[in-house]
Amino acid sequence: MPPRGKAGTQERQTPKRPVPSVRPSLPREFIALHKQRRIMDALAELTAEQGYEATKISDIVKRAGVARKTLYDNFEGKEEVFLAAFDAARDDVMRRVEEAGAGADGDWQARIEDGLAAFLGYVAENPSLARMSMIESLSATAETTRRYEDALEAFVALTRGALPSDERLPETIAETVVGGVAWIVYQQIRRGDAEHAADLLPELTEFMMAPYLASA
Amino acid sequence: MEQLPRGRHGLSREFIADNQKQRILAATAEILDERGYDGATVAAISGRAGVSKSDFYAHFASKDSCFVGAYDEAVERLRGQMLGACQPRSEWGDGVCAGLEATLAALAAQPEQANLLLVEGLRAGPELYGRFQRAVESFVPYLRDGAPAGKSAGRPPEAADEAVVGGIASLLGRRVLAGEADRLKRFFPELAEFALTPYLGIAEARRIISSR
Repeated sequence: MPPRGKAGTQERQTPKRPVPSVRPSLPREFIALHKQRRIMDALAELTAEQGYEATKISDIVKRAGVARKTLYDNFEGKEEVFLAAFDAARDDVMRRVEEAGAGADGDWQARIEDGLAAFLGYVAENPSLARMSMIESLSATAETTRRYEDALEAFVALTRGALPSDERLPETIAETVVGGVAWIVYQQIRRGDAEHAADLLPELTEFMMAPYLASA
Repeated sequence: MEQLPRGRHGLSREFIADNQKQRILAATAEILDERGYDGATVAAISGRAGVSKSDFYAHFASKDSCFVGAYDEAVERLRGQMLGACQPRSEWGDGVCAGLEATLAALAAQPEQANLLLVEGLRAGPELYGRFQRAVESFVPYLRDGAPAGKSAGRPPEAADEAVVGGIASLLGRRVLAGEADRLKRFFPELAEFALTPYLGIAEARRIISSR
């Protein structure tokens, strides 16, 4: 399994080994981060296949191809692996959405559409992480549920910033719109069709814009 | 919910059993609201309901099956209140407004029910979460049925009805979590606008809402 995500995103969770204060000697640190990534990917895949509850440490280390000791050197347990994988995925997708929106200049409609396309693209390319983050997180542990709610809140703030301000529109518009989009994407993933999430772009774009288009 | 008077009474065994079950379900919603999933023990629920633990277990195999029973009943109660308001309406837009208004009023009148339906449903494990998803999905046809087939700019997007119901559920859940259950009615105008706009356009949606 090729490593995904940038090395910088691994710094989110605290590995038990001390973080070097000088430029790491590449081979050892690279291998450590690569193994962390493989453990997180393995958990995402297994959770998507069989659910969080049914996934055991022995399953994870086998799928990741690491020793049990390696997992426990880097993470306290299953939940910590989940949270690290969730945080990394959330950072990746937020960065992608922000970058896509930044290219649109003053055109808010293009910004919304490009941001949505980036989000749906991420879901389509990372179906296991999408299922883990948007479905399993809500029934795994109390802390994973909180992470989901915080991430949703972050997307609401991002969307509110991208939508044009209009005094006639209610405060809650960004929340209801993001909630609606999340619901639709959730259904798509649940049907096992995450790979085709990009197909949702036209209708979700229209849904997000509807309150702003007077001639709709 | 009132306990039955002590001593002999002419009530049937079925009535007594049903009354007990209703008290347990009502107590479950209250205790969940006060203490959350982990704090809602069989002892706490039985105590609030005024039943013994053995009476509890005569009705429910476990705490979790009791939660599921409470959840299912809360969904059906809300559904009844909503349908009672919207079904008599002949105009689709008017019916959607009436149903939404009744839903907000029902949730605001019983905050512990709102908490059970919209907050605990997301936090109290996979079983309840599955019930939450199915409940939200079951409300989609009420919006979809009778919706205008086309508007001046063309059909509304396929997923609009699901997105509307899902978006409203998401927003209400966040507000209930923030302790604002009793003030949900103030969201009526904006949620009605959010629901009607994909089908009628914003101008027509506003006209309908302001003419009520």
